[in-house]
Amino acid sequence: MSDDLENQLRAALRPVEPSAGFAARVMARVEAEQRRQARRRWRIPASLAASILLGLGLYLRVHQQRETAAGLEARRQVIEALHLTDEKLDLAYQTVKEASGS
Amino acid sequence: MTPIRTYLLLGMLGSANAWGAPAQVAPVQPPTQAAPVPGAPVPAAPDARLALPDLSALAQKASQSVNITLDPSMLAMASRFLDSDDPQDAAALEIIKGLRGIYVKSYTFDQDNAYRQSDIDAVTNQLSSPGWTRLVQTKSRKTRANVDIYIMLVDNRAIGMALIASEPRQFTIVNIVGSIDLNKLHKLEGRLGVPNLDIDSPAK
Repeated sequence: MSDDLENQLRAALRPVEPSAGFAARVMARVEAEQRRQARRRWRIPASLAASILLGLGLYLRVHQQRETAAGLEARRQVIEALHLTDEKLDLAYQTVKEASGS
Repeated sequence: MTPIRTYLLLGMLGSANAWGAPAQVAPVQPPTQAAPVPGAPVPAAPDARLALPDLSALAQKASQSVNITLDPSMLAMASRFLDSDDPQDAAALEIIKGLRGIYVKSYTFDQDNAYRQSDIDAVTNQLSSPGWTRLVQTKSRKTRANVDIYIMLVDNRAIGMALIASEPRQFTIVNIVGSIDLNKLHKLEGRLGVPNLDIDSPAK
């Protein structure tokens, strides 16, 4: 009984020659794993850099939009201020004209 | 014509010119400049910027209020957005070129006399300081509008202008800091709907 078991175990655990190309496949898998790990190592810094670039781009765009809005508002104020000044100068002129007419 | 000559022409409204009779126009008072005392400390150049009073109480009563504060940086920013190909913008650009500030407060009311004389005095008191000269004072009986125009002269050069227009339903203060050329403002006339003042044609 114990001999049978031993024989069965021997048969089951007998050394088997690896199939052709086994070592190459293992090495290929190891290299693939290393490449995957290398890619994984760069993923976080690359994501961070992309986020920073995206954030910077958004900031510049918002800043430019704000600057344009402020510039257009300043332009509007200049025109309005000059309009008002003109209007009041004209008021003075009309008064003088009125006086000369009476 | 130099700006100063235009100012003087404006000031000499009492004499015969295109503006007409002088009855309601105050004559210009030439600025008096004391001779410098040798060895005396040189006084700081006067600033044409007025300390405009806090008129927030008026703003609350007003149906429309305009409060414009354009300091040098704002003027520089505005000039970048004024289109030199557009006639109105080009004229405005030309005017603001030598300016260091434009400050305007204007309040429109739904009823007469909504503001007090003390509101006007808060500004006119500052204009009695040295350097300021009243150029024009008009009082209209018809419209009950009073307009006072002051300029600040330093070495016969205008470095600022102040305008106070008090009408029954509107009160406006304009303070322009820097060398304003009324000839340039003149260019703006007509373009902005204001007729030609004909101020620089004494021969007419």
